[in-house]
Amino acid sequence: MSEPLLSKTQGGDPWKARIDRVFARALVLPLFLALALLSWLLLDTLYRSFSVQVVRSDVGLSQTFPLGTAWQEALKAALLQEGYTEEEAEAMLKDPKELRALLNQNRVELMWNTHEGPLRYVVTGSYDERVLDLPLLQGLRRWEELKAGLGEGERLVLNPWLDQTFLTRFPSRNPLIAGIGVAVVGTVWVLTLALLIAIPVGVGTAILLEEYLREGRLNRILEVNLRNLAGVPSIVYGLLGLAFFVREMGLGPTVLAAALTLALLGIPVITVTAREALRAVPESQRQAAFALGATRRQVVFRVVLPAALPGVVTGVILSAARLIGEAAPLLLVGAAAYVPFYPSGPLSEYTVIPVQIYLWVSQPQPEFARVAAAGILVMLLVLSGLYLAALYLRNRFRREW
Amino acid sequence: MELLRQAPSRNPKEVLTFALLVLLGAVTLLTTLGVVLSLLGDVVEFFRRVPLTEFLFAPEWTPLFAEPRYGIAPLIAGTLLVTAIALTVAIPLGLALAIYISELAPHRVRARVMGILELFEGIPTVVLGYFALLTVTPFLQKFIPGLQIFNPLSAGLVMGFAIIPYVSNVAADAMQSVPRAIREAAYALGARPYEVALRVVFPAAISGIIAAIILATSRAIGETMIVAIAAGQRPTLTLDPRETIATMTSFIVQAATGDQPAGSTASLALFAVGATLFLMTLGLNILAQYVVERYRERYE
Amino acid sequence: MKLEILQNHETVRTAPVPEAEALVDVRHLNLFYGEKQALFDISVRFPKKQVTAIIGPSGCGKSTLLRSLNRMNDLIPGVRVTGEVLYEGVNIYDPRVDPVAVRRHIGMVFQKPNPFPKTIFENVAFGLRLMGVKGSELEDRVVAALKRAALWEEVREVFKKQSGLRLSGGQQQRLCIARAIAVEPPLLLMDEPTSALDPIATQAIEDLILELKSRYTVIIVTHNMQQAARVSDRTLFMHLGVLVEEGPTEEIFTKPKHPYTEAYITGRFG
Repeated sequence: MSEPLLSKTQGGDPWKARIDRVFARALVLPLFLALALLSWLLLDTLYRSFSVQVVRSDVGLSQTFPLGTAWQEALKAALLQEGYTEEEAEAMLKDPKELRALLNQNRVELMWNTHEGPLRYVVTGSYDERVLDLPLLQGLRRWEELKAGLGEGERLVLNPWLDQTFLTRFPSRNPLIAGIGVAVVGTVWVLTLALLIAIPVGVGTAILLEEYLREGRLNRILEVNLRNLAGVPSIVYGLLGLAFFVREMGLGPTVLAAALTLALLGIPVITVTAREALRAVPESQRQAAFALGATRRQVVFRVVLPAALPGVVTGVILSAARLIGEAAPLLLVGAAAYVPFYPSGPLSEYTVIPVQIYLWVSQPQPEFARVAAAGILVMLLVLSGLYLAALYLRNRFRREW
Repeated sequence: MELLRQAPSRNPKEVLTFALLVLLGAVTLLTTLGVVLSLLGDVVEFFRRVPLTEFLFAPEWTPLFAEPRYGIAPLIAGTLLVTAIALTVAIPLGLALAIYISELAPHRVRARVMGILELFEGIPTVVLGYFALLTVTPFLQKFIPGLQIFNPLSAGLVMGFAIIPYVSNVAADAMQSVPRAIREAAYALGARPYEVALRVVFPAAISGIIAAIILATSRAIGETMIVAIAAGQRPTLTLDPRETIATMTSFIVQAATGDQPAGSTASLALFAVGATLFLMTLGLNILAQYVVERYRERYE
Repeated sequence: MKLEILQNHETVRTAPVPEAEALVDVRHLNLFYGEKQALFDISVRFPKKQVTAIIGPSGCGKSTLLRSLNRMNDLIPGVRVTGEVLYEGVNIYDPRVDPVAVRRHIGMVFQKPNPFPKTIFENVAFGLRLMGVKGSELEDRVVAALKRAALWEEVREVFKKQSGLRLSGGQQQRLCIARAIAVEPPLLLMDEPTSALDPIATQAIEDLILELKSRYTVIIVTHNMQQAARVSDRTLFMHLGVLVEEGPTEEIFTKPKHPYTEAYITGRFG
């Protein structure tokens, strides 16, 4: 009697079966490695966005304020410490211009812990100096020791670098009061204008290639061209923007030049995703529309495009997410280093989030690494939001044809 | 009869729509033209001032010295060094994942894996550069003596991980388009899954896999932020991955954020390097397309 | 079955339709997909307000012939047509005729129901909107079409809000029929309309066809001979792109004249 069938299905060779199992597991390893690296990145960034600091206030104000204090109160205390009288301080706080200048130079921030207790406000001025900056765990371990050693006008704080004031403040040479607000607004401006151009061109090209010119010479030329454009490094688009939009057209380092450059970068991406969305609409839909006597234009715009719309929108959202993260081309087109004002229009100077982060990372002062960390957290949050929106759209509008 | 009189397709709206779409499509053609032209003017001017031989063969890139030298070799060396390190990471890992996705993963897992890879593609490179400089480098400095703060090793390693999705997507596509019949023939002969994957599917898809590698190389060469932040901006002709270097892309960033006057040779160098970069990546992309066309098995 | 013999074949006709009674008059129609010929010298007349079935084995060209009647084949690149198709006396292949106009006068229902991902109302209204119909007239005609397609009672509560895709297979097909007849086309073409449906839905559609013929001329392609026998007044039998035989349905099925016809009817091939 020959061996039972069961052992034959082991492939006859126990070694080989073992290899199979190891093989499959080994192949997935890269994924886990990559996820581990990503987690390392996130955790490290998060960790870096907190620090324990000893800060010396330039006006000697080491006072902290309890929760519930209006920020005007805190500012007034700072002004009084600086030497202004009650009346002068009140007047400054009431005058909008003075107030704005004040808020540029000072921040009222919530610290998670201070030498006067947890969850208190402090006023950070632009001439404040960081005496000591420690990583979170180290600082917490030495907390009592540091508290005891505080000098005149010094305060001890557990500083969350990503907080509300960070989101609204301008960039600054002093990392303690630097903020990402301007960059966020700049990103919105540039991205919106860029999409206004890129969406019609991208979707239009997609319609042209998928509905009107499915084959033929023009189709092949456009397709080859698109494929090449998609492979061009983004920095080369920056060169194009610099030479043409900034210099040749004389736009200078403005929002408009950036938007045009970014639009060119985004067009191949949007075209690809739009084409996929159009292709997903079954041919039978077009047949039905043609049989009812629709012209090609009517078939496309009354049947195909509406049916493909969720897919197109998802594609646009994903393209927008990619464009938000582009720094290199915008660096070339002049997203400037120090922009202490919100962009007022398409011809204004500006900066965008990834460029701002790059500039912070390039600064020598070590706290700018923390500012950068906070900025990265903001950017990742924005991107996550976009990806979730795209995911939601994709699932909600998944059609069973 | 009515039929002869009606002509809805000759409605001007039809023609106008088509014309509009063609115009929009033409924008993409104009973009390519724009890329070429924008580089052209300044490049030509640059080469009027700097002889081509110096550009290609001189071993120093020092545009800001009193006696500037414009040899691109150090920049290319830097680029290739980082690229080589990145590919050493990306190719094995990317291909492994590609084989997994295409051959071994059960259906539901496949979708999730590809989702995670898409996530990776979406991480902005600024973030990765920051990670390389501020986290990876200090970590590696504990083990590697002589590792500079700005070095191609950290940048290359991080870039390698960033490029994995590009390798695995294209390679997985290539492997998935190998017809089922071939796999089934192999299984029917008693081959195990890992044998089928390595000895049958992989060789069958080899042209697509090579194309994936070429495309990944092109991406690595053109990558800017990771190297600008973490690899350095000091042109050095070296093979030592611990030394600070500059790449073509990091130089372009440095030159653009510096304050060279617009017409100076130093600022024209920006475009010369850009043109070189463009030609290199274009060449690689065309090579990849050629490889796929020429060597693809036709399974009719 | 020698191909050359078949291609020089003279169609066997029983009680051929006189010109005056024909809505569609096909004259020497040949159709080529590039180099490959798919229809060989087809000449036949389709009578008004009757149901004509086209039967034959797969690949015989019946769908191709059907789609030639509303110039849907024009949408396939590389297609070439010679001969004439007279519809209400006008050759639809005349170079002066716009195919889009032709399709507005002829309705078509497909094998697999293909409603648009829109509301039931919008589906039926689609063809009407193309013609510029609006407002209350639009609504009236949509309701009328839904009634004539025997779908009204089932959707009257929800037809303005519910998507067409949420109907069952049989209902979807009736929706497609309503959509096709909303514009009151004299001719309705049906390409295997029940082959994707279950027997109950099939029955409903067949009953519907019998009702429709009082108002529309119907030409139906079917691979189901029993269906052809149940539903049609005249039948055409095709094989390999040639019209082998045509005549009143009863004659074709009880006394076929051509040996191929008989072979197909009795199930010896196909």
